[in-house]
Amino acid sequence: MMQSVLDPGGPQADRIAHLTMILFGGGSAILLLVLAAIGLALWGPSAVRRMLASDRLVIAAGIVFPVALLSALLAYGLVVMRSSIAQADTKADVTIHVVGEQWWWRVAYAGADGTKIAEANEVRLPVGRIVEMVLTSPDVIHSAWIPALAGKVDMIPGRTNRLVLEPTRAGVFRGQCAEFCGTSHALMAFAVVVMEPEAFDAWLAREAAPAAGAGAGAELFVALGCGGCHAIRGTAARGVIGPDLTHVGGRETLGAGILPNGHAAFVRWIAATGEVKPEVRMPAFGMLPRAELEDLARYLGSLR
Amino acid sequence: VLRLRWLKLLSRLALKRPLQAAACVVAVIVLVAVGVIVFAWSGLYNVAASRGHWYVVDRFLRFGMENSVRARAPDVKPPALDDPDLVRLGGAHYHGGCAFCHGAPGSRSSPIVQTMLPPPPDLQEQVPLWTNQELFWLVKHGLKYAGMPAWPAQDRDDEVWAVVAFLRRLPGLDPAGYESIALGGVEPDPSGGRQLATAESSPDAVGACARCHGSEGQGPTSALVPRLAGQSVEWLTRALHDYAAGARHSGIMQPLAAALSPRAVTELAQYYAGLPPSSPEGAAARASGSIENGRRLATDGDAAAELPACLSCHGPSGSREYPRLAGQPARYLSAQLMAWRGGKGGASATHAIMAPIARRLNDRQIADVSAFFASLSPVSGEAGRP
Repeated sequence: MMQSVLDPGGPQADRIAHLTMILFGGGSAILLLVLAAIGLALWGPSAVRRMLASDRLVIAAGIVFPVALLSALLAYGLVVMRSSIAQADTKADVTIHVVGEQWWWRVAYAGADGTKIAEANEVRLPVGRIVEMVLTSPDVIHSAWIPALAGKVDMIPGRTNRLVLEPTRAGVFRGQCAEFCGTSHALMAFAVVVMEPEAFDAWLAREAAPAAGAGAGAELFVALGCGGCHAIRGTAARGVIGPDLTHVGGRETLGAGILPNGHAAFVRWIAATGEVKPEVRMPAFGMLPRAELEDLARYLGSLR
Repeated sequence: VLRLRWLKLLSRLALKRPLQAAACVVAVIVLVAVGVIVFAWSGLYNVAASRGHWYVVDRFLRFGMENSVRARAPDVKPPALDDPDLVRLGGAHYHGGCAFCHGAPGSRSSPIVQTMLPPPPDLQEQVPLWTNQELFWLVKHGLKYAGMPAWPAQDRDDEVWAVVAFLRRLPGLDPAGYESIALGGVEPDPSGGRQLATAESSPDAVGACARCHGSEGQGPTSALVPRLAGQSVEWLTRALHDYAAGARHSGIMQPLAAALSPRAVTELAQYYAGLPPSSPEGAAARASGSIENGRRLATDGDAAAELPACLSCHGPSGSREYPRLAGQPARYLSAQLMAWRGGKGGASATHAIMAPIARRLNDRQIADVSAFFASLSPVSGEAGRP
């Protein structure tokens, strides 16, 4: 998964990358100039050294130049910021509600007839459309940051913040929490999958459908009480405390961006939850016999 | 006055010649230590239990013990000690855990025990000499060098209070009264001569479970004890294993479970699992919570408070790894939830699931869900269907 500010995948990140280039490029040029001046002052011809020591140069390069340059940079920064703020008012094509919780992401897409399609720990976006992420938090301050797509925006309890994205190329990017939010803050990440618009529409339609899984694992899921916290639409599991698992098998990662999705990852997560993610709310079910863990993992993996 | 003069002399010396004074003190300490070691090394002191203590030593030890207990007894308010459920639970444990050494109305302690030094006292005489808090401290912590063990589960004060409640009833109790409290009306199977002659288990162990949990057609004798009839073999087996391994804490259950052979665990689990759930009359008695609110919490949970629905695990479709709660006494359910909430009760795998949920419950909710589950009938087979 890509996570780089220097390889932007949308105009918001472009502007930041641009600003970064100007800052680092300009800073490097100034550093070289200063080093050259130091060299000349030490070993240069006496005429140059006298010139470097003159009051006029000190005033020009030491006061006038920084004031002018920093003021220009401030103006440029304000312009960049203004364009980001202005964009927050643009009408979005896709609205995604993202709630930061300790230590995972509750995601909901607006469905066709006003219903919400619940997801978790993964965000899928269409190329070329304007996406608005509505950011909230019920517990502590989190911050949503997808370095390759945009700057970070805090998720503050009691406030609703907005993050507007316009992904320009398909790919899988990494997002993460950028505000310390407790023990497993560093283990609170998510995958951002940018897809071609047609693929995205097809995916969203699939996500809206209930789960299609059955077998021993499905019965175990209900009997063990997993449904007390997790929902799998179309089954008896209707819990809303933890992540919605209706299509968990199709996600890139498990445990909020920690484990690459797969059978072994499901088994490990269910059996040793607290080892994978310290102080996580979900209790570990390590006392289950291996066969039952495998059944559960097979069932969850089949929910695509 | 004498002591004061000594101190004056010492302090004057210490002020005038501090080095010499310090040397004096050190010399005295060394002399005493050497004397003590020589005395112990010589074997002059007789450690025989058969001999008893010298009168002065006996008075001295007793003086030290009584003062230690009085000084350390906690300053807490006991629960209502005339509570019959508490008395019956304490009595049933007394019969298995204490009577061997302390005897019981109608039966003296074993002659082996009577030759211990000090001999375990007759509690009918001793109990009135202590306050409730002192008895609590004695039962919970035991006594060094006296053979009195501490409570095996140090985090289960609730169980210790049950024993104290029974001890308060003990003075003046006649054999019939003792049996009705401690044996819970269980009639031990009359054993034949051959069985008595060859059985390895002590006759006292017979009926150990039923004293509290009941048997055919009879539920628990105390509302603080869970109903086992109709629970799954898996859950019963796991509970006994967890107690035996110390993963689940109870000063009453741990010693009993630890004494069971693997075969006995299986047999017992199958016995109780096979019993028809007895009529739950009285399970909800004295439950203070609202059944309606409890039903809501059990059915829907409370997502905002991160409380999953109880019935997602404890309902009719629940795994056999989980206990059935329908018809359990409300007081038992409340006490368990309170223990979990207080971080007590153990560290078993299922404990790790339930304890965090209990910590999110308030007193009201505990009373409500306990009342709800107590009101359900386990007989219908739909254990927990609202």
